[in-house]
Amino acid sequence: MEEHSIVESVLDNLPVALFAKDATDDFRFILWNKKQEEVTTIRAEKALGKNDYHLFSQESADYFRSVDKAVIKRGSLMKVPEEIIETKNGREVHLRTVKIPVHDKESGRLLVVGISEDITEQVKSREQLERLNRHLVQANQELQQTQMQLIQAEKLESIGRLAAGVAHEVKNPLALLLLGVDYLSQGIEPDDPNVEKILQQMRDAVERADRIVRGLVDFSSQRSLSREPTQLSRVIDEVLLLVKHELTRSNTKVNVRIEKDLPLVFLDMSKFEQVLINLIINAVHAMAGVESKLIKIRARSESLEEVVKNQGARKREVFRSGDRVVILEIIDNGHGIAPSDANRLFDPFFTTKATGVGTGLGLSVARRIVELHGGELTLENREKDPGAVARLILPTKLETAKVRTVTGRVKTEETPKEIDTGPSDLTS
Amino acid sequence: MPRKILLVDDEAGFTELLKMNLERSGAFEVRIENDSTKAVAAAREFSPDAILLDVVMPEMDGGDVQAQLQANPLLARIPVVMLTALVDSTELSEGAVAQAGTQMVLPKPVNLPLLLRVLDEIAPAA
Repeated sequence: MEEHSIVESVLDNLPVALFAKDATDDFRFILWNKKQEEVTTIRAEKALGKNDYHLFSQESADYFRSVDKAVIKRGSLMKVPEEIIETKNGREVHLRTVKIPVHDKESGRLLVVGISEDITEQVKSREQLERLNRHLVQANQELQQTQMQLIQAEKLESIGRLAAGVAHEVKNPLALLLLGVDYLSQGIEPDDPNVEKILQQMRDAVERADRIVRGLVDFSSQRSLSREPTQLSRVIDEVLLLVKHELTRSNTKVNVRIEKDLPLVFLDMSKFEQVLINLIINAVHAMAGVESKLIKIRARSESLEEVVKNQGARKREVFRSGDRVVILEIIDNGHGIAPSDANRLFDPFFTTKATGVGTGLGLSVARRIVELHGGELTLENREKDPGAVARLILPTKLETAKVRTVTGRVKTEETPKEIDTGPSDLTS
Repeated sequence: MPRKILLVDDEAGFTELLKMNLERSGAFEVRIENDSTKAVAAAREFSPDAILLDVVMPEMDGGDVQAQLQANPLLARIPVVMLTALVDSTELSEGAVAQAGTQMVLPKPVNLPLLLRVLDEIAPAA
């Protein structure tokens, strides 16, 4: 066997396309292996002795020539991560190519040797993956949008429930105002000591009505989730104002105890109010028929380690070790949770209330909102006394929020983008 | 002699202003009770010519107070006017208000001339 054919045989059986051009002879091909034939669909006998301008389109040939010239000029290897050639039958072939300048001392020729790997399949699967990923990101966004719509729908339901109570709370200051007007319109004696008192009462009444109405308007607002450092006590005050009428009517006492210097929590006021209103109204309903109804609201901060020890290990998933968390509990002395209901409490449309009283969305939406805050909501019976406790565990840092990321590579020319679909990005 | 009115409502500001308005003419003497659980005791002690009773109150609502007044032969004769800011009229009929034999239900905000007419009717001046 001749040495010549051994080399040829090796070259032809290489899994990569191999070619060489003579830069000193108008870049004519002097080497064209089998794989190069496959990739280009051009037979070696047709290619050898020709240059790119004979074989490819003007545009492609210009491109190849410019790379070749650059290789010669630099005198060192050049990598082309991805180039596309269009074959005669119109198929696009993606190649990863390395071009090497070779100086043949014997003949004095300057060669450009090219080694190309066909990466068409890789590119195709990458594109398919990107497409799938885009679909996934889109589906995820749609899901989040739907969730925000669901949250809003549930909120509208709460507003409907609260409206009568809020109207009642506004009517009381109005009643007071009217009495003030009645008194003052009958003429005022200069030394009437009542006048100053009446004016002060009227001023208070206007502020009170304004605060209630503003509270309802703020609560109704449909904004994207925006979390700000918030004092929990402020949210609780606002909420108690909105549910005051429900509490009075049901003769429910509320006892609030908030630990001194409680850390701020990152809350979306309006959405978080929705959670608390839900839990409080639930507690009121759960105490129907109970002699002295009492809702205790407790807030304290603990280290994560304490929480894990006290509340169970599952909390690990959400928070990071060393974090301080705020624990908010809403405790009622009602009838508690029936064992058969315990697993279904947070299921959408699960309700123990009569038709028309509740849709069964409250708790599932409340839990979703708390999760969007990077927190956790559980509901269980109290250990010793009758009644149930709704427990919220909230992060005191924004970073602690569970952020899921989807990596979406968009185009090869672009840097891979991190598409953050975490809570801070919800803008539906 | 001014007519004696017992005013039972947990809204302190409201009761204060209503008292001022009623007492201004000298025709009424008003006693305020902001704690509904003490309303019956106040009625016994004060023996008013009429009672103005709020509906939604903590602890005991107006319906409960009314029922206790009715149950007491000494107090059952005192005319009662219910005052309510409830907007939903169905809530009124559902409650004890209608069954308790109340002479009159007036909406809040209170129309003062109307209230004075009602008081003249149910507790006329001697």
